[in-house]
Amino acid sequence: MTVYKRSYRPYEGLLTSERWRFLVVARYGLQEVLESRLLVAFLVICCLPFLVEAGVVYVANTPSARVLLGIDGDAPSPMRREFFMGALSFQGMLAFLLTAWVGPVLVSPDLVNGALPLYLSRPLSRAEYVLGKASVLAVLLSAVTWVPGLLIFSLQAGLAGEGWLGANIRVAWAVFAGAGTWIAVLTLLGLALSAWIKWRLVASAALFAVFFGGTAFGEMWREVLRDPWGRLANLTYLIGLVWKDLFAIASTRPMAREMLDDRRGADLPVWAAWMGLAVACGLCLLVLNRRLQAREVAS
Amino acid sequence: MRAPGRIVFEDVSKFYGEVLGVNKVSLDLPPGVTSLVGPNGSGKTTLMNLMTGLIRPSRGRVTILGLSHRDPEALFARVGYCTQFDSFPRRVTGRSFVEGWLQLHGAPRAHTSGLAAEALERVGMTEAADRRVAGYSKGMRQRVRLAQALSHRPEVLVLDEPLNGLDPMARAESLALFQALGREGLHVIVSSHILHEVDRVSDHVVLLSHGYVVAEGQIHGVRTEVTDHPMQILVRSPQPHLLASRLFAAPHVVEVKVHPDGNGLLVRTRDASAFHTLLNRTVLEAGIDLEAVAPADDDVNAVYQYLIGSETEAV
Repeated sequence: MTVYKRSYRPYEGLLTSERWRFLVVARYGLQEVLESRLLVAFLVICCLPFLVEAGVVYVANTPSARVLLGIDGDAPSPMRREFFMGALSFQGMLAFLLTAWVGPVLVSPDLVNGALPLYLSRPLSRAEYVLGKASVLAVLLSAVTWVPGLLIFSLQAGLAGEGWLGANIRVAWAVFAGAGTWIAVLTLLGLALSAWIKWRLVASAALFAVFFGGTAFGEMWREVLRDPWGRLANLTYLIGLVWKDLFAIASTRPMAREMLDDRRGADLPVWAAWMGLAVACGLCLLVLNRRLQAREVAS
Repeated sequence: MRAPGRIVFEDVSKFYGEVLGVNKVSLDLPPGVTSLVGPNGSGKTTLMNLMTGLIRPSRGRVTILGLSHRDPEALFARVGYCTQFDSFPRRVTGRSFVEGWLQLHGAPRAHTSGLAAEALERVGMTEAADRRVAGYSKGMRQRVRLAQALSHRPEVLVLDEPLNGLDPMARAESLALFQALGREGLHVIVSSHILHEVDRVSDHVVLLSHGYVVAEGQIHGVRTEVTDHPMQILVRSPQPHLLASRLFAAPHVVEVKVHPDGNGLLVRTRDASAFHTLLNRTVLEAGIDLEAVAPADDDVNAVYQYLIGSETEAV
């Protein structure tokens, strides 16, 4: 034995709470993606529609502004739920583009570089690792969806005066829950594709393929078989149904063109939309569970 | 059985589906430098993953300093792992890299800079700590990896192929560091294909093949256990021919060669103990001058070549 003197002293200082340790992964992940100036520029662009929407809300609630702009007194009413849902739909599209940009770089570099054993040989579980990485996307997507959505809602509530807030509180919930659902779907899909495909461009293309391929498949199924259930593969349609339900909008009019079809039986029930999205999330979790392994099997 | 100061494997097997990782491994590793030696696929990484709590055994039990994977917070606080990865986030500096991993260990921000500085100093990276890792040499990247494994002051340091790709100077420095850490009372577990180098610094050697431990212990002990394999001994003497004629008469001496420089013999014997007795008697009786006696193949490579044969990729 060549241990001459047990002079080594292990660390016995304080430790941070285990519960919030995933935030370290999130913080470093966020720091890394925000180093890209192009991404920061894109985030700024994502905020522009909200400035327009805020302007619309202001004008709609300020008679002097309407007069100044030469708008008829019977101006478009932004207090309608359709306005908020339209805003969310547009921001949802930007959130999708943001996911296609950021999602692929979150997990695959760790897998390619063999860094996962380093994470998991610390007091951090696989679930916490996923939570940390998901937080990166969730923060970015929140910044372009429900956060500005609720700011617009607050502006409207403030300008509209008493009574409006109480009568429309459901809209605030719909903005938050609708965006939250979309963020969950996009985040899990982005992480799963990042874990599955190591090339960034291919992973981004795969995300587009999942959405556009699913849409094409669902609509072809409906047209050919006269059966709406193929639309379960159309994630855009499913989230649209969920949003309509959350905003309590009965008419399909504000939805995208393929959703305008009001033939009998063309729409799926809302519960099926929720189930479809839940299954998509479940599949993503299965992919993550399979791909995120600490071990390397020697061949 | 709880062994507070040791790494204990009790009849441990690990299967990945139908693929064997390791089978029926029983080890009891004391503090100091332990080398895991074996060709690719022999189970080295599986043993390391079991030690670091990354995987659980299919059968048997692993305890690290008396702790099992059921207590991950305590276990991970005592174990430092340095994997083979060699890619770092863009723009990261050596210091921020080490500090980031420290925060994942749970070190509060107030402590991370002190601990990181200590680890970087330990591996001789203080001056380069604030430079980007992208500009580091291979040896510097290896030292930064080592610093992240050391930074939370673990009691068990597991190093997967830490000498890969290092130049001779960096290799010698790393080995000296492992030895120093081992002498301070750490468990330093090293896997390597650089057999003669790990041999030099190892207190303990575990030889693996196809998921089985084929030999384990102090290198001299391992060598002695292989009694049916002739051991080669170098005998330095100015009268090699006279000595050779006397020694070759003994039944356990199977080969005697005069050393190429003409000032000694290389003797192969099946019984080292009997040979040393015979040698003492011979030099006294015949009045032969003897300058030195030393094992000529008492290193990991020789044992490994013997035990595992042609499979080895040893250098």
